[in-house]
Amino acid sequence: MLPLVVKRITRQSNDIVSLELAAPDGTALPPWQPGAHIDVQLVTRQQRQYSLCGDPGDLGSYRVAVLREELSRGASMYIHSYLREGRTVHASAPRNLFPVLPAERYLLLAAGIGITPILPMANALAAAGADWSMNYAARGDAHLPFRDELGALGDRVTVNAPDRAGRLDLDALLAEPQPGLAVYSCGPARFTDAVEAAMEHWPSGSLHLERFEPKPVVARPNAPFTVRLARSGRTFEVPVEQTMLHALNARDVAVPGSCLRGVCGSCVVRVLDGEVEHRDSLTGGDETAVIYPCVSRALGDEITVDL
Amino acid sequence: MKTEFRRLDETGLRAHLGYPDAPTTDKILDHLDSSCLAFLAHSPFLCLSTADSAGNCDNSPRGDYPGFVRALDERTLVIPDRLGNKLGDSFNNILDNGHVGLVCFVPGMTETLRINGTAYVTDDPELMSMLEQDHVTPTLATVIRADQVYLHCGRALLRSGLWDPEMQDLASEVPSSGQMWAEASGLSSEIGQLIDDAMVDGYKTLY
Repeated sequence: MLPLVVKRITRQSNDIVSLELAAPDGTALPPWQPGAHIDVQLVTRQQRQYSLCGDPGDLGSYRVAVLREELSRGASMYIHSYLREGRTVHASAPRNLFPVLPAERYLLLAAGIGITPILPMANALAAAGADWSMNYAARGDAHLPFRDELGALGDRVTVNAPDRAGRLDLDALLAEPQPGLAVYSCGPARFTDAVEAAMEHWPSGSLHLERFEPKPVVARPNAPFTVRLARSGRTFEVPVEQTMLHALNARDVAVPGSCLRGVCGSCVVRVLDGEVEHRDSLTGGDETAVIYPCVSRALGDEITVDL
Repeated sequence: MKTEFRRLDETGLRAHLGYPDAPTTDKILDHLDSSCLAFLAHSPFLCLSTADSAGNCDNSPRGDYPGFVRALDERTLVIPDRLGNKLGDSFNNILDNGHVGLVCFVPGMTETLRINGTAYVTDDPELMSMLEQDHVTPTLATVIRADQVYLHCGRALLRSGLWDPEMQDLASEVPSSGQMWAEASGLSSEIGQLIDDAMVDGYKTLY
């Protein structure tokens, strides 16, 4: 992890602040593309993922934005109440699980704090002269972050809020499947779930979304299973009450975990043999060669992994 | 060896101790001010005192990520219950007698934060969701209504060298936990070694 100094804290709305993070000596940071996120570890040792929402052309600093959450698990509360300019946090290099792929046209759909990965996408698409539009669902003007930057993007951006363009009707917007249109969406679970539901009849691959929260997963009750490590030949049991990631780490098998909720992808492990019950929010239907051991488990008695 | 001594009353005590200065009593608050809240937000460790209704006392360590004691407001604190020994000594006392006392520590800081108040035990699901750590949500938490809060001066920690890394050579002179366990349970020191070995693995599961 890189030590980064909090250069500036900016109040973006009544419940969102943005942080500008820079190397202590001002050197250039690792490059990133829109959709990327970094893991940020606070002095409290809590680690969370935040989408980069600044300018990828400026590697002098990273910008992230943080929502003050009513039921904070601690990090959001800490950042809003105690993080100050000049303090140091630790951050991973950027990773991108939400890259923008070539398409004829783009529709960006963001809600709330989900604007963070979408804003740099919009800036990049605008700079590239792409055919794109954005709908941003916000609770109201007081909750609207990045107001000036959204305004500068012009009328391709519709802000859907009671005191702006009105409520966003996803079912109407997405009623007609549009071949060639790539949809990128990020927001709270109820928003991304609604986008996913509204696009069920669209061609597969049309929707790209990033979740902050795990999608609801119906899982069978935990059962114990055996993990076989292909490289060392070691085997061990994962008991009912433990995750596979806990079990790996407890045996000094270093698999990094970050979100521990199946959304960030940092604990990914390749599966060589055995079926997986995917409980994460990342795997699609055809992606079965990996397991996210922070949440997922073996379907059968044993799986063999590439460790 | 003599083990019983003269017992002082308050007059005898104050003859030695004197009385606190006004500034000392003035800093006792009935809530957590912003400095106390900041102290708590960075504290990974505390000792929790409880007593049953007959006055039998207990003191028990609690530790977690810094800021694990969550202040919901300036008087309401929450301590999540993490994996432990299931004795529930503190819980049993709190059910019997809600009065609690806390001493909270911040590594490297010699002053400690003392908080006294009354507590109860809850399993409120919304509250539990806020206390999730490392993918584990506790099932119980202690809610404390603070009514006395003050920063305790740093002399005890300064004199003890508690945060001095060089003082850690003391630990190797103390019997291991396995040996202490074995002795307390009337088991052999070989068993004590096995307990120590098992603890190395057991301690890898913290949540």
